[in-house]
Amino acid sequence: MRIGIDVGGTFTDFVLLDDETGASRSHKCLTTPRDPAQAIVEGLAALAREVPGCIEGLEEVIHGTTLVINAIIERKGARTALVTTRGFRDVLELGREIRYAAYDAFAQMPEPLVPRERRLEVNERLRADGSVLEPLDEAQARRTVEALKALGTESVAVCLINSFENPAHELALKKMLAEELPGVPVSISYEVLPQIREYERTSTTVTNAYVKPLTESYLKRLRERLAGLGFRGRLFIMLSSGGVTSAETAADFPVRIIESGPTAAVIAGQCYSKLFHSPEMFCFDMGGTTAKSCLIQHGVAGVVPSFEVGRVQRFQKGSGLTIQVPVVDLMEIGAGGGSIARASRLGTLQVGPESAGAEPGPICYGRRGSEPTVTDADLLLGYLDADYFLGGTMKLDAAAARRGIEERIASPLGVSFVEALWGIHDLINETMAAAAKTHIAERGGNPQVVTVAAFGGAGPVHAYGLARKLGAPRLVVPPNAGVGSALGFFTAPRAFDLVRSHKVPFATADFARLEALFRDLEAEGERTLRKAGAEGPIGFTRSVEARFIGQGSETSLVLPPGDFGRLNAQELRRRFDETYARLYGRTYPESPVEFVNFCVRASLPVKLLSLPKISVRGKAADAVKGSRKAYCPIAKDFVPYTVYDRYKLPPGAEIAGPAIVEERESTVIAGSGAAARVDEYGFLWINL
Amino acid sequence: MKSRFDPITLEILWRRLISIVDESDAAVARTAFSSLLRDAHDYTCMFTDSRGRELAQGTLATPGQSGAMALGIRKLVEVLAPGSLAPGDVFITNDPWALAGHLNDVCVLSPVLHRGRAAAFTACILHHSDIGGRVASDNREVFEEGLFIPLVKLYAGGALNQGVLDMILANVRTPEQVSGDIRSQIAANHVCAEKIVRMLEQYDLPDLDELGDEIIRRSEASVRASIARVPAGVYRAEGLIEQKEGEPEVRIQCALTIEGSDITVDLSGSSPQVDWGGNVVYNFTYAYVHMAVKSVFDPEIPNNHGIAAPIRLIAPEGTVVNCRFPAAVAARMQIGHFITEVIYRALAAALPERVVAAGGGTPATMQMFYGRRGDGRPFHTVLIRGGGLGAGATRDGEGSFIFPANGANTPIEILESDAPLIVERRELIADSGGPGKQRGALGRREVFRVPDDACAPRPPVSMALQSGRFRLPPEGLFDGKPGARAQFLVNGKPGDPYGLTHLKPGDVVVMDSAGGGGYGDPRQRDRAALERDIAEGKVSSEAARREYASK
Repeated sequence: MRIGIDVGGTFTDFVLLDDETGASRSHKCLTTPRDPAQAIVEGLAALAREVPGCIEGLEEVIHGTTLVINAIIERKGARTALVTTRGFRDVLELGREIRYAAYDAFAQMPEPLVPRERRLEVNERLRADGSVLEPLDEAQARRTVEALKALGTESVAVCLINSFENPAHELALKKMLAEELPGVPVSISYEVLPQIREYERTSTTVTNAYVKPLTESYLKRLRERLAGLGFRGRLFIMLSSGGVTSAETAADFPVRIIESGPTAAVIAGQCYSKLFHSPEMFCFDMGGTTAKSCLIQHGVAGVVPSFEVGRVQRFQKGSGLTIQVPVVDLMEIGAGGGSIARASRLGTLQVGPESAGAEPGPICYGRRGSEPTVTDADLLLGYLDADYFLGGTMKLDAAAARRGIEERIASPLGVSFVEALWGIHDLINETMAAAAKTHIAERGGNPQVVTVAAFGGAGPVHAYGLARKLGAPRLVVPPNAGVGSALGFFTAPRAFDLVRSHKVPFATADFARLEALFRDLEAEGERTLRKAGAEGPIGFTRSVEARFIGQGSETSLVLPPGDFGRLNAQELRRRFDETYARLYGRTYPESPVEFVNFCVRASLPVKLLSLPKISVRGKAADAVKGSRKAYCPIAKDFVPYTVYDRYKLPPGAEIAGPAIVEERESTVIAGSGAAARVDEYGFLWINL
Repeated sequence: MKSRFDPITLEILWRRLISIVDESDAAVARTAFSSLLRDAHDYTCMFTDSRGRELAQGTLATPGQSGAMALGIRKLVEVLAPGSLAPGDVFITNDPWALAGHLNDVCVLSPVLHRGRAAAFTACILHHSDIGGRVASDNREVFEEGLFIPLVKLYAGGALNQGVLDMILANVRTPEQVSGDIRSQIAANHVCAEKIVRMLEQYDLPDLDELGDEIIRRSEASVRASIARVPAGVYRAEGLIEQKEGEPEVRIQCALTIEGSDITVDLSGSSPQVDWGGNVVYNFTYAYVHMAVKSVFDPEIPNNHGIAAPIRLIAPEGTVVNCRFPAAVAARMQIGHFITEVIYRALAAALPERVVAAGGGTPATMQMFYGRRGDGRPFHTVLIRGGGLGAGATRDGEGSFIFPANGANTPIEILESDAPLIVERRELIADSGGPGKQRGALGRREVFRVPDDACAPRPPVSMALQSGRFRLPPEGLFDGKPGARAQFLVNGKPGDPYGLTHLKPGDVVVMDSAGGGGYGDPRQRDRAALERDIAEGKVSSEAARREYASK
């Protein structure tokens, strides 16, 4: 048996899976932000009451957490110090020096995680090729380490200029720090991110150091608590890149688990895409504050090399801290149920990116929220039932929502009340669709063939409208979409990504030597996985990043399996030109190309999940709860929608739109003309 | 007449236009060759409707290029006979008077054909590191400054005009880099055009004109509403800008009239044009007037043609703010960047919360190094940098920025892999921020060494600068004190920032950029903030006593 645990901002979700029978059981409880392990222990105890002995029988706990990202955003990490090459302690503060809002003289920048007085310098210097220009001054380095002690340092980051080419000086400092400051964790840039560009590398290394002590102690505490409950299996942590890794590796490189939480839905999407043979799936997870989406092609989500965290101006690119580690190619936009609608100064409607969050929340929550939100509009459009929100545990105030939208949207914009309602719902869908189209197109996909998979509380409410705007032919809503993402944990590959930079012209490259480089990387990947207790054969996916000689960015090419030394060079070059022309309109086959990065993903074969079949019997008609009027954009009026109880829908049940399917954590909308069918696993497939 | 775009559809399409231009912007960063583009982002992508009115520009556009393009592209579109345009036509020019004011700013302009006619124009200006010529600020005529490309077709109906390309490449020191960067411009326009056409098809629009009317109308109304809140009157200020040793300061005279929602900026009385490269063409002067007005009155809304409507600029021909051909113009930012500062000074009394004190990033510093490596291969690299941002009413000028222009630094590790140089330091300079109730941001130091070991380049390494603030520091506002001056040293002695400097292996160059001006009386500075500054080593305890009356 295995268990997936997803600690989110509001709820902690559990899914217990019996690998032999395929049976699963879910649980949801409130997150305990001060000590997230608390909620985990409580939830497990609750599950153990339902399934006696389940904890002792567990082989694995797979865990995703927002602990790290919250510590960065709330600035609750360790008292961190930074050691740099002489002359470069301010690299962290200077950043890239671009103003992200060109016309705003007052745009704020994020404070560095390490203040200037804790950024110390050592005498040493490497050249761009990694050769030593000035050896490390050991005596001065020791004095620097002494000074760190006096500063009360709890964690140390080391990032030296050009060290990505040669780790010798960083390794020497690491050794010295271990001797002089025992028990203080050290993060060196060569191990965290051996890539060119000193600011990005320093920022990533510092962030790693900043969250290392807290991640270590959290994981230790969690392990002890789990042991206390009788757990004897292994603990795995979800990586931002979509794989899972051992708790030990996560404690060494916490910067790799920043997006640990949102990745689960993507992994679940990957699994469904493979199970249902859907070559292009668009995974759409809409919660209260943001919508996170990802394109899954042939069962695989993309991975990008960097992202930003803790933006000072929300969603404004450039206003956050740069983190350069592989992360699932998630697109996150400020669109959620709590997104606030306003009449802008320009006399247009604007929805988001500001969110009312859970507190004060939408007006209809009745918690003193005064600004209309997407959820308020959804309620008044008839899509949500005021008496069956979260299974009826929370009553919604429609009258207050109505007043808010009339006063703040309809009358200032000079549109009718209904136009305002539909405008809010439709604009948030359009915002998401516009972003989604760009996201899909940039990855070479086609929005008109994707299957949209909906997750999150607001996902199934908006997925139909989104899918229509994308021109997508079909939509799938897994059962329990609210906790469904936790299923992703079971199918996440036990994987680790490695990159090595090595610039070599295509024309003169010794492919046999490069094969050796790939094998090195693979051996390192295998070691990391074995250390995490992996058994059985390990698979490797290789890719190269290449560019025209003289460029600064690369185009990625996945390599076919087999010996690189025997690869047809012309064929590889042809594929580079093809990819380049697809992205930029033209290519230049006569211009020389070089390899820059060699990448390997080491992974264990994924256990395909056997989904449990639902046991409901009867007819679709038995699941009808009644009918209610909801807005139909085609009729431009409120029309009757049939309302179904999702838990009573049997396999094979067919539903014609307009229909509303209700479950505890969410509501599925299927518009006029939609044809929906329930499959044997309880998935709702909607053809548009 | 009622618009066919309801407020909701309008917002959706408007956002789409911006995301399209941002994609073309990203294409430049991914495909360009020179670090000045791919790392430092010295370029601007934009597009216009069929009449040449700017509708959207890249979020990271640099205001000098974008403001100048908004004027320039419109005129170029009038020149191109729209009926004669074919799919696959691509134009190129770097005419300083037509566009962004110096030869390095090369524009590639492509019509977007839809239903048989030009429905839009997409353009990008990239600051090319290398345009040939004598790289220095003390040239007397534009002819010395490099290759001048009039508006010509680089591609005709999709076929390359090889002669034009050969002509360009024969005139530059690093032809591979220059051709790579031109290709990047073509890629950016391609990405932009493809997405525009897709949008026109999807929404069944013949062109962008009607949508443009609506975007422009609303943007104009927004900025006008903000201007109208300021009392009518004439607001005056003067700016003094240093030039070569022994020459009198260049004077910028500004009378800014607000009447209802109209702004007239009259620069009459400014100095006559100069005999070096600091001359500013009308478009570039206009760009920094535009930057000042937009940043003060309406910084948030996306930039387009509508923002410019309330602005009228008077800049007499033959002055330094509207120079005549064939004046030397390469270092036009050395004077042009000050225009925003002078306007801020004029508006400071009326809008004290909306302006910042003078900054060390005015002007931006541009530093060129070129020569040959030990093995004979050429290199040519350009770095840009700012200085301490000026303080504002409610906060310190935190950050080393180029302002009012914009751009990023080049990572040291990128610079060292592109050029045979060693950077010894890149750090903040203590006590360089102008004291004030709100402190100006610190200037920063960068130290370069020409290697003299096995990695040494062939002598000489040529170096030129476009910079300033060596004598006149950035002034404070409302009793705030000036920031520290800039400094340029070669082997410990002041160098000539206007000429070409020839370096030999072992030479060391120090570049200190100026600190930002302070805002308000330093004695009123919050004591906790001062303590923080001292702890961080940004203000020394001596300076705290001297400037802030600290005990």
